[in-house]
Amino acid sequence: MTGLASLTTVFPGLVWAMAALALVQASRRAALWRLGTAASVAWLDGLAKLPRRYLVDVHHVVARDAYASRMHAVVAGGLLAASVLTALAILPPLGGFRPYWVLVAAAFGVTAAGSLLVGARRYPEKQKRLSAGRFQILPVLLVAYAVGGTVTALLLAFGGADGLLAPLALALAAAGGLGLAFEVRHGPMRHAAAGALHLVAHPRPGRFEGRPDTALQALDLDAPRLGSEVPADFAWNRLLSYDACVSCGRCEVACPAFAAGQPLNPKRLIQDLVAGFSPSEPAYAGAPYPGGRAAEGARGPLARLIGPDARIHPDTLWSCTTCRACVEECPMMIEHVDAVVALRRHQTLERGSLPEKAVGPVTDLRQTGDPGGRPLAARTDFAAGLDLPPISVRGEAAVLLWLGEGAYDLRYGRTLRALVRLLREAGVDFAVLGPEERDTGDLARRLGDEATFQALARANVATLARYRFERIVTADPHALHTLRNEYPAFGGCYTVVHHTALLLDLIRAGRLKPGRLPDLSVTYHDPCYLARYNGETEAPRAVLDAIGVNRAEMTRSGRRAMCCGGGGGAPVSDVPGERRIPDLRMAQAAETDAGIVAVACPSCTAMLEGVPDRKAEIRDIAELLLQAVEAGR
Amino acid sequence: MIANADALLKPLTIKGLTIRNRVMSTSHAPGYGRDGKPQERYQLYHAEKAKGGIGLTMFGGSSSVAPDSPAAPWNQISVADDSVIPFFRDFSDRVHAHGGKLMIQLTHMGRRTKWDTEHWLPTISPSPRREPASRTVPKEMEAEDIARVVKSFAQAARRCREGGLDGCEVSAAHGHLIDQFWSPSVNQRTDQYGGSLENRMRFGIEVLEAMRAETGDAYVIGIRMSGDEMIADGLSQEDCLTIATEYAKRGLVDFLNVLGGQARDHIAHAISLPNMSFPVAPFLFLPSAIKREVDVPVFHAQRVTDLATAARAVAEGHVDMVAMTRAHIADPHLVRKLSEGRADDIRQCVGAGYCIDRIYVGGDALCIQNAATGREATMPHEIRKADVRRRIVVIGAGPAGLEAARVCAERGHAVVLFEKGAQAGGQIAIAAKAGWREAMSGITRWLVGQVTKHGVDLRLNTAASEAAVRAERPDVVIVATGGTPFRGHAKGAEQHAVTTAEVLTGAVEPTGSVLLYDEMGQHNAASVAEHLAKRGCLVEIATHDRMVAEEVGTTNQPIHLRELYKLGVVMTPNMELIEIYPEGNRFVAALRNTMTDAEEERLVDRIVVDHGTLPVDGLYRALKGGSVNRGQTDQDALLRGEPQRYDLSKGYALYRIGDAVAGRNIHAAIYDALRLCKDL
Repeated sequence: MTGLASLTTVFPGLVWAMAALALVQASRRAALWRLGTAASVAWLDGLAKLPRRYLVDVHHVVARDAYASRMHAVVAGGLLAASVLTALAILPPLGGFRPYWVLVAAAFGVTAAGSLLVGARRYPEKQKRLSAGRFQILPVLLVAYAVGGTVTALLLAFGGADGLLAPLALALAAAGGLGLAFEVRHGPMRHAAAGALHLVAHPRPGRFEGRPDTALQALDLDAPRLGSEVPADFAWNRLLSYDACVSCGRCEVACPAFAAGQPLNPKRLIQDLVAGFSPSEPAYAGAPYPGGRAAEGARGPLARLIGPDARIHPDTLWSCTTCRACVEECPMMIEHVDAVVALRRHQTLERGSLPEKAVGPVTDLRQTGDPGGRPLAARTDFAAGLDLPPISVRGEAAVLLWLGEGAYDLRYGRTLRALVRLLREAGVDFAVLGPEERDTGDLARRLGDEATFQALARANVATLARYRFERIVTADPHALHTLRNEYPAFGGCYTVVHHTALLLDLIRAGRLKPGRLPDLSVTYHDPCYLARYNGETEAPRAVLDAIGVNRAEMTRSGRRAMCCGGGGGAPVSDVPGERRIPDLRMAQAAETDAGIVAVACPSCTAMLEGVPDRKAEIRDIAELLLQAVEAGR
Repeated sequence: MIANADALLKPLTIKGLTIRNRVMSTSHAPGYGRDGKPQERYQLYHAEKAKGGIGLTMFGGSSSVAPDSPAAPWNQISVADDSVIPFFRDFSDRVHAHGGKLMIQLTHMGRRTKWDTEHWLPTISPSPRREPASRTVPKEMEAEDIARVVKSFAQAARRCREGGLDGCEVSAAHGHLIDQFWSPSVNQRTDQYGGSLENRMRFGIEVLEAMRAETGDAYVIGIRMSGDEMIADGLSQEDCLTIATEYAKRGLVDFLNVLGGQARDHIAHAISLPNMSFPVAPFLFLPSAIKREVDVPVFHAQRVTDLATAARAVAEGHVDMVAMTRAHIADPHLVRKLSEGRADDIRQCVGAGYCIDRIYVGGDALCIQNAATGREATMPHEIRKADVRRRIVVIGAGPAGLEAARVCAERGHAVVLFEKGAQAGGQIAIAAKAGWREAMSGITRWLVGQVTKHGVDLRLNTAASEAAVRAERPDVVIVATGGTPFRGHAKGAEQHAVTTAEVLTGAVEPTGSVLLYDEMGQHNAASVAEHLAKRGCLVEIATHDRMVAEEVGTTNQPIHLRELYKLGVVMTPNMELIEIYPEGNRFVAALRNTMTDAEEERLVDRIVVDHGTLPVDGLYRALKGGSVNRGQTDQDALLRGEPQRYDLSKGYALYRIGDAVAGRNIHAAIYDALRLCKDL
């Protein structure tokens, strides 16, 4: 009986030892996070909301891959249950109660089954998007711990604990269990500790409250250091968030730049940030940045992250379209785009090293208020003959129509003319700023030129303050995002409506009476800044349905749509790849056989229409609606 | 998208008037005036351009301000009394409804008109010198005449303003009264209106000052003038610069509409309205030079047929507005297509000069390739979809067949187009092989582009047979098989004559001496004579007419004659070819003088003839018996603009169009096709 008695103590002791080891490893890791700058965190609120954030928000993302979701539920649930139950068995009444061990054995059994599911993703061959390296031993450790634990618990439940089998089983469980705990510092199990803490201390808690918390945070331009140059420039909870990465590669699959063969892989980017502040980090074992760059660069919290010979090549940084597809797909809720912009801010503001072709547009933006250096008064040239009312005449209007940069574009002028005609048709009281409208500064902000952005934001906020209007309507989702979500930080709080939402309202109110266009086959391409940044995916579709077109969805649509390649200054950065992002997107559109790709953004219009040999026409929702309204007369 | 298109699509503001883009149509005389008024046809013609997106359309070239400049000669507009005002009001409403701006040209033509057309008043001019083009000897203007005409201009300007027109220009180009005063080649006066340039400018200044005084400073008034008369005793470029800067500096004009050359005789007229033998925008340097010196907008027209050239002219700062007058006759929706990103759909002017050549023989302006222009009341520029989708077979991809296929396809029908040759274009493809006539191929290029775009099943290298046509189970068959060159009735012609078409296709390559006998008076013989002479042949062109190329219009014939003279081609009018016979390996042509009956002979290496074409109608006759309409077009329905009503449930309807009916011309072929097919 001594064998049995000691086993009921030693086995729970093992779990306690594991917990202690995990705690040691985690605190060694936490020392690295503390290299980061301060961040204000609502600890109590975060802790209280942790279960919900995990079970609802994280699960919502994880569940998109049904296998991974099942696997994780079984293995993590089993592991947690088995370990907690075993740890509790240190209490004599439980440890001595044989049926209790049956329960423990069952929990370990579930863990074992889950471990096999984990193993099946990696052996005999790992799934393409997963990383190898330390993750390859994860199923081995899990199986050892689970099988060892199961046998040990069964022996405790049904006798035989003093046989030769018991120490062997316990040793197996110990090897696996302590191995897992050891891996909390550098290995796969780090995600559990860092992930949980990250959910508590998330830098964008609004994400979990159902609102699109996507605005970039304003930079204090008087700070001694602008943007992030080295890992220690990131806030501590950002470093923590990068440690939560499980290298699952979902971001890599979603990333348009990666698909186009540009030198960006969001997973590798996050792992490079991790390796930056963790000098002893094991080698990266996932897909590389396309283009086969070998440089490893210096490591350390004070080592420069960006540079031709640093860990991250500038081309990687400038390849990002800020489309947030990686963020949308990340089960660990990591904010990749924030990292990219923080790095860009340093490159642009401190080092002046914008991509060569971006210097012109950003300089023009700073000096003239337009990235093309065009006269602001020429913004309304597209509407010559339509007599756009300037708001300065009456000083007020129900709707202020924000024209955006697209107004200068010959092709896009067509869209805006259609929109103006529709507003007239519906009798909307609208006006434009005319020569007083400056660019929102979106391009400057995404390229890291926060100074130019803030100057433009303040100028526009001051201009808007002189006029009275109920809401701003714009056909440009980039302008919409900036005005709606980013101008409040500069004192500009407006109701900003995308033109598709307004048009839908006008149809529903009977102020526009479109005919039906059943002969048109249409697929709708979601703009990133409307769908992912603002969660608006329904109004454009509802307008299309109201005009009776034959509508098909692309495989990637809504919040999971693929970017056109036009955001984040990517077109002016113009980092070469093997393919072009809009070509890829149009190939996806072609799979629907639709004759028309409906768009709702000037950037998407320009990018997609520029695709050579495309079979489909590119038409804005406003153009299609005008056609339907004319057909309905 | 063409380069610099955005430069064209920027608005231009002159005083309070904002013109929505930089593309305009200059005032011209399409011959649509009735009773001296711009009535429905005239108004619809310009309204169509406004609908098509043009910024400014100017009408009424040479609209007269006084009875001794009669409106009758080119069915022109008379602004000499108030009865025209209501027509102006209707007209401006029509154009403004589409967002376009409307202006008119006012003028007194001085000596450049005829005294025997309307009021039988003598023509007037600063000095009594005859102009070759108008052939009148004018009365020398007295001081009272000057005062009277100045007042007439002022009253005419008032009528424009009261009629709602957005502005007007006075013509001081092409040898009208104001530039008759300017030009030392006309003005021999010794009073304060003659002698120094300052004196010669006086009349025009008085005219513009009077117009200003009558209409107020806000009204837009411009001037059309030459940038260089390009003749020894005329206005030099420096004179024109001086006039332009002086008038602009005095605030007399709000815009300058500058062209090159003058029009006092045939060749000068042809050069001032450059045809397809000229490069594009040949005189752009003249407005460009003036624009450097003045601060009012500068306009320019002269063979700017394509948008790329137009956009360059504006983007590079040569002009503020570019006039594409003939380009709009070919396609009034040019600007709209550009702004809709459909530049490839623009039917581009080829510079054939068919429109203007018709005017100078008293006809109405019609486009060689667009049969809807000038017929807006009855012919559509935009084809409407048909209610019932039919299966239509068109045979022959010349201009008639291509236009028929285009219109039918745009109507939504399923169209098969058979063409036995390797390329489309029919006789246009042959004509385009002759030197500067190459641009004719643009007509075919657009039509082929459109039929391809609209899904016509174009079967090249496929001769249609009765069986092949029936196999398509068509509802409608349109035979557009064209014509075949005819060798004429002269004895021996069938055996020994070759045709102009055979020369151009290369079937025959004449060398040595050639007699070219022409009974058509068209481009064909003249251009083949030039073609042969350039290849080293000694060419004599003999014609039944009073002169070579007699049927070719005034902007093209002088160019033919110029080239033929340069090449030493012998031109022999008033001759009829009566017999050809061989002598050794050469030929003898017997010619009869049509006036004296005297016969002459020529011993030459080749005899080439042009007698036009006879229909290729074998397939038509084969298909006729099986058709529900026995191949007949209901002419009454056609002329009323109503559909042909045949019961297609019983079989196919058969129609014949273009030269397959009777040899005519490209416009006739295209009009045949449009008129029939718009209602099929």
